[in-house]
Amino acid sequence: MNSIDRRSFLKSLTAASGAAVLSIPSALASNPKARVVVVGGGFGGATVAKYLRQLDPGIDVTLIERETRYTSCPLSNEVLSDSRDIKTLQTGYERLARRGVKMVHAEVTGIDPVGKKVTVTDGTTFGYDALVVSPGVDFNYAAIKGLTQEISDTQLPHAWKAGAQTLLLKKQLAAMPDGGRFIIAVPKGPLRCPPGPYERAAQVAMYCKHHGKKKAKILILDSNDSFSKRPLFEEAWKALYGYGPTGMIEWVSGSSGGIVEEVDPTGMTCRTTFDEHKADVLNVIPPHHAGKIARTAGLTNSGAWCAVKPMDLESTAHKDVYVIGDSCVGGEVSTGNGFPKSAHMANSQAKVVAASLVAKFNALPAPVPVYTNTCYSVVDHDWGFSVVHLFRVENNQWVYIKEGSGISPVTIGTGKAAKPVPRIHRKIEAQYAAGWLNNLMADSFG
Amino acid sequence: MYKTILSLLLIGLTGAAQARGDIEPLARTCNGCHGVGGVSASGPMPSIGGLPKDYLRQIMKQWKYGERSAITMDRILKGFSDDQIDDLAEYFSKQRWVPSPQAAPDAVLAKGKTAASANCRDCHGLTGNDPDVGVPRINGQWARYMELELMKYRSGEFKMTHRKMKQAARDMKPEDVSATARYYGAQSK
Repeated sequence: MNSIDRRSFLKSLTAASGAAVLSIPSALASNPKARVVVVGGGFGGATVAKYLRQLDPGIDVTLIERETRYTSCPLSNEVLSDSRDIKTLQTGYERLARRGVKMVHAEVTGIDPVGKKVTVTDGTTFGYDALVVSPGVDFNYAAIKGLTQEISDTQLPHAWKAGAQTLLLKKQLAAMPDGGRFIIAVPKGPLRCPPGPYERAAQVAMYCKHHGKKKAKILILDSNDSFSKRPLFEEAWKALYGYGPTGMIEWVSGSSGGIVEEVDPTGMTCRTTFDEHKADVLNVIPPHHAGKIARTAGLTNSGAWCAVKPMDLESTAHKDVYVIGDSCVGGEVSTGNGFPKSAHMANSQAKVVAASLVAKFNALPAPVPVYTNTCYSVVDHDWGFSVVHLFRVENNQWVYIKEGSGISPVTIGTGKAAKPVPRIHRKIEAQYAAGWLNNLMADSFG
Repeated sequence: MYKTILSLLLIGLTGAAQARGDIEPLARTCNGCHGVGGVSASGPMPSIGGLPKDYLRQIMKQWKYGERSAITMDRILKGFSDDQIDDLAEYFSKQRWVPSPQAAPDAVLAKGKTAASANCRDCHGLTGNDPDVGVPRINGQWARYMELELMKYRSGEFKMTHRKMKQAARDMKPEDVSATARYYGAQSK
């Protein structure tokens, strides 16, 4: 190790192609300095496992994930419009395994934060020095009268976890007659992928426009009174598909009767506070909460979600347990600038936890955390836009950095000189979206 | 020794960088879009590892202060201090340049080479790997990104600061733009 030049060591650690080949001192390899168990292999869990191994191969990392393949939720709305094959969103865990991450495909049934061990379906237990919980979201089907998981899986898909339900929804859209009604029911926030329902409306409209369904209606019944990237979506909907009562896309806010309370899969209707709506396709996204295991492990002290500490995302409920991704709540919640529940945010949180654990296990000073998010939405083949977020930690509190955050501009210039952003911006951002997804997947699972 | 290296990896390279906040965690936030070590995995996003320090520093500061148009990066960089931008430029300039050669048909390569000789060679070199001092390497840079960048230079809708590059981009024939980007994108060395 003494002869290793710092730069070449850095390079080997950061080499992008193939697995970094490291000369690990045998004492480190055979006797791990710490055992980290990661629960959940989405963007958050995969990234934390990868970066732990990359930053310190002396740490033993076990990733427990139910499935052997992962399907990215980001850009999965493009599957609905037929502009993307779902295969382009899928990845396995082989590259993580090559980095020395021990992959266990099983369901976690219990977490013992006192005995510091995790149990899976077949009874096997895994002891840990640190546990990272990244279980994503689970759905509260019972919150909507008439809805069950079975009905969701077979008739009224949410498609809010990419995979089988995405394909079911796509099939239903393809079978919808011209003049048909496609209803998207949006639950009260905070929700996974805040701009997702509105991107979906555009992708569905794109499909209808190009597949002989120009008379289709896409109705968004929203439990909320506003939404992410709203001026950008409204501009695009209006220009591309028609927006409002006479347009292809219509949005009904929560306070004007958008809250769906009941569904009837046989009659294909849904009932809101004020009205009953008939649909040809009923895309009901139920309210969601932290993944089930986070709840059974007592980590959801913040109601539906898990409260964590700003410096390192350690649970406020249990020591040495860290919660990342959609399940945790963080950011400047009091000002309405909480962490968005996005893949990029999970990836960013995972890097914070990995660096913090490596420092801890090596008795080094804790690194200064920084949390970032970039999220693109695509509303037509050549029309995209984004939002970026930046959070720092000051005095042990999250601070939302307004200067480093915000949506793609709607206009350029101020006051009377303001003019609409040239179309070329949207065109370029549609391209960036595809690049962002590929890089994010490579950074998380590669 | 191992501890020293780890410490460097975790919290940065120099005392100065540490005083400004940790450079490694900050640089890692770029990986999500620009790849680990600044080696992008995808066409629309540029690789940035191994590009000249002054180029990276200048372009980031121009975006931050609105002197040059960007679409996403300007928003991101407004949240970073000048010192952090300097440190990021230094960090990424010290990474290895890793070309990502992309195959293209011979006819496209030939057309691109001719246009590259006429318009790009002076500054970027004929293969993109021996540029003038301070000019970014573009051998094996992602063609799609270069095409989008050329589109920005040519469109007139963007504030672009480099006069020579602007002129060269606008001198190109429309039908040569894509071929030239693909020619440089195909270069492995």
